[in-house]
Amino acid sequence: MDRFKLRKAEPKDVPDILRLIKELAKYEDMEDQVILTEKDLLEDGFGDHPFYHCIVAEVPSEKQSNNGPVVIGFAMYYFTYDPWIGKLLYLEDFFVMEEYRGFGIGSEILKLLSHTAVKTRCSSMHFIVAEGNQASIEFYKRRGAADLSLEEGWRLFKIDKSSLLKMSSGPEE
Amino acid sequence: MHFKVRAAAKEDCKDISRMIMELAVYENMPDQVKTSHEDLERDGFSPNPFYECLIAEVPDEHKTKDGYTVVGYALYFYTYSTWKGRSVYMEDLYVMPDFRGKGIGTGLMAKVAQVGVEKQCVRLQLSVLDWNKPSLDFYIAKGAEDLTAKEGWHFLRFHGQTLDTLAKEAPKD
Repeated sequence: MDRFKLRKAEPKDVPDILRLIKELAKYEDMEDQVILTEKDLLEDGFGDHPFYHCIVAEVPSEKQSNNGPVVIGFAMYYFTYDPWIGKLLYLEDFFVMEEYRGFGIGSEILKLLSHTAVKTRCSSMHFIVAEGNQASIEFYKRRGAADLSLEEGWRLFKIDKSSLLKMSSGPEE
Repeated sequence: MHFKVRAAAKEDCKDISRMIMELAVYENMPDQVKTSHEDLERDGFSPNPFYECLIAEVPDEHKTKDGYTVVGYALYFYTYSTWKGRSVYMEDLYVMPDFRGKGIGTGLMAKVAQVGVEKQCVRLQLSVLDWNKPSLDFYIAKGAEDLTAKEGWHFLRFHGQTLDTLAKEAPKD
């Protein structure tokens, strides 16, 4: 793998982004949980109020055989806020297709994201990893990542829509 | 006790900053707060805000011994799940100790849930320290599920020196 390029995603990349999202979900054994559509991604990433930003990795089309995909990796991120230290860059998804791993593409993506974080005045880059995903945990730890769940005891919780509706229609004070 | 939940205004940042410090003291991490009320004003009340905030206030006759009528806050922002789409993340929820047990925390959280539902968010997420039993009980009673226990999710971060080191090696623009 001698040449690949990293660039900002454009609306035309949405079908590829969804394809890679599904591949990552499959890798995490949760393929059936992806309910997002191309229309959602387009509106939510390239509309008036973007909910996310995306970088894609592509290989030159002449290097592809059998009309294989040109977009072979992506990273999706957005900005969050820590009231103690201010802006943070949150890495939501990060994936390189299996046949393109081991060439340093993932590393370059992570460096570009870090550069973006520093450039936009973020103190930190945060993300979550499933504890069963040892390959990813090692990848991040080798590069200096700290596990806040282990070190400080943070646990992630979710509240689904049905409970949100129940909460928001509770008695007025 | 009667109380009101409303969207924070720029002028509330001094009170929010005060309560952020109180919450940090409660979590045994007061020396980690680096933001000032000026940072909060810039980051929450510019054309591109990085967070939204609700505050709870009580009538003058119930003000604290130091004269404060703003007694609680909820700070949140929007995130994105590549599986399910728009989400709301509640970063901080705090009620001053003398004002707990009166439904103020529930009222603040209900309003965050309502805002999330209006913005078509499919879920609310938050994180809690594993030793914080009162908070764990509070959220679980509202339907929160512990994803760290259930699915093994851990929080990781690249911070300070490790972030700078990665950023320096990024591909040039």
